[in-house]
Amino acid sequence: MEVRTDQNEVFSFWPIHNERLFARLESKHLHVEPSTDPLEAEMSLNLGPQHPATHGVLRCALKLDGENIKSCVIDIGYLHRGIEKLAENKTYQEFMPYTDRMDYLAPYSNNVAFCLAVEKLAGIEVPLRAQYIRTLMSELSRISSHLLWMGTMVMDSGALSVFLWTFKYRELLYSIFDEVAGARFTVSHSRIGGIAGDLSQRGVDMIEDFLPKFTEELDEWMPFLNRNRIWVDRNRGVGVITKEEALAIGMTGPNLRASGVKFDIRRFEPYMVYDRLDFDIPTREEGDSFARYLVRQDEMKESVRIVRQCLDTLATLQGPIRVDNAKHAYPSKNEVYYSMEGMIHDFVMTDTGVCPPKGAEVYHATEAPKGELGFFLISDGTGSPWRMHINSPSFTNLQALENMLEGCMIADTVIIIGSLDPVMGEADK
Amino acid sequence: MAHRTLDFLFSPVDPPKPSAERKNPLAKDSTFDADAVTALQDEFGERIGDVTLYANEHTVYVDRESIVDVCTFLKDRFGYVYLSDLGGIDRFTEEQRFEVLYNLIAMERGKRIRLKVRLDEEDPVVPSVYEVYPAAGWNERECWDMFGIRFDGHPDLRRMFMPEDFEHFPLRKEFPSLGIPGSLPLPSQTDDGEIVEDPYPAAHGSKPLRRTPFPE
Repeated sequence: MEVRTDQNEVFSFWPIHNERLFARLESKHLHVEPSTDPLEAEMSLNLGPQHPATHGVLRCALKLDGENIKSCVIDIGYLHRGIEKLAENKTYQEFMPYTDRMDYLAPYSNNVAFCLAVEKLAGIEVPLRAQYIRTLMSELSRISSHLLWMGTMVMDSGALSVFLWTFKYRELLYSIFDEVAGARFTVSHSRIGGIAGDLSQRGVDMIEDFLPKFTEELDEWMPFLNRNRIWVDRNRGVGVITKEEALAIGMTGPNLRASGVKFDIRRFEPYMVYDRLDFDIPTREEGDSFARYLVRQDEMKESVRIVRQCLDTLATLQGPIRVDNAKHAYPSKNEVYYSMEGMIHDFVMTDTGVCPPKGAEVYHATEAPKGELGFFLISDGTGSPWRMHINSPSFTNLQALENMLEGCMIADTVIIIGSLDPVMGEADK
Repeated sequence: MAHRTLDFLFSPVDPPKPSAERKNPLAKDSTFDADAVTALQDEFGERIGDVTLYANEHTVYVDRESIVDVCTFLKDRFGYVYLSDLGGIDRFTEEQRFEVLYNLIAMERGKRIRLKVRLDEEDPVVPSVYEVYPAAGWNERECWDMFGIRFDGHPDLRRMFMPEDFEHFPLRKEFPSLGIPGSLPLPSQTDDGEIVEDPYPAAHGSKPLRRTPFPE
């Protein structure tokens, strides 16, 4: 079989890969009727990997019958960096900044997810104040991630203004991250055993300032969208996935909850301080693109509630932000600068870091904005993991995309990809 | 300041002490499912191997041939309807080199369990659980891509991340972190240039570029 590009050139680059990909596309629903009429002829369309609506480098090979998608094969791996291999050669703390680059729209959640897994592996208890700050910042990053999703999703369906509105608030959030973590985008603020620095008063003020403004504005946006004829028509009944299908194909996060499964790791296996907080899990029954939009929109409101509660608790809750045990976490800078032991411990933590027991293996899951983000770690008794396996939500969600696209119209492809909210940095690991 | 003895939960070279289990601050109730483990041992007997517990997490070692039966049993009897994760492990120097892990969730019961299958290096083949959990589809492809573990009965076992033209299995321990020179062909920088094999010749000892002998 000779595979050709859309410009009718023969694939000279990775030919076997493309040959097998298109062979799979051809074999999926088999029945192909040869036709001489160009209007009835079937056509293969290669969407991506470089396409603005695929949110990164996602490649869909589509087989079209007119405007209908007959079959679809998803090809990922264009952003594969071998992050699991990298981890095997780094100490645990050294690897943490790499997690920023996975789901780069919510880096704080990833940092926290990784640190929690290492803490479980080594049995490290994190002080309560640090846990509250982690929770607070994770929820802010959830808002930030959902805002970007909303902006780009609405832009994909043709409305530009929402994109500008959401980015205005993402800008405020990035300023908060900048103040709290010292970096706008790749925060790397979490440390094994706690966090790098405490929440400053200025940071608290910025968050206090952000919350009411954002809540008010979010309530203003919603009528524009929820009753917008074009937006509703393009989303309602598009990309429907039933509860049973969603469970079987392993969808996770807001996509699963939009299909009527009330499953959230924050309630299923409460970590950090989620068991002390009062929040709801938004669920919808429809399972279409519009339901996924509504679930995320409600989640942002819940996140605001969580942030509010964390702030209230943090106002009175004082204490350390990192565990005070030199074998488990970095010593404070005061100790490093003014005591010999502190400096030695700092060196040892940087050089070797925390060494979990030999043969120990744990899996710790967190609810990242995209869904269940889990790290599976095996220790060999040294400072770097023997094996790190990442269960990334975008990868799991993208698997459902093939089934969802088949039978849809070509114009809905962009909407369905957008509504799943994949981040390729995470899906490709 | 009073002297305080450091409270070690473990020493790195030894296996974890039993006392460390109870103390683990992040241990969850959900990962401990004694009912399912007992039922599995009763039902399958010898085909269930060791059952280990660390940080309150159950790991059940399952015989390779019965992994599909075990998954079906857990799905039907204990409500493990959701496959959360599947991945490979390379133990390299150990007797049975490869492991495949299955992470299942029973949402109604609020439980999570981990199954593991051990494989010999000579014959890294597992029956696919695709029929029981369609969610395993891509994970098994990833596992094949990264470790070269084949899944019998998988409908579409292509590589997940790497191109099909790639010949190696990157997450195996013998695969160098730097990569294998010439294993990834990349397009040339100019329009009329040829495809080059080694993008970083300097990293591999400044060898001159080799040209790919792809057929016209």
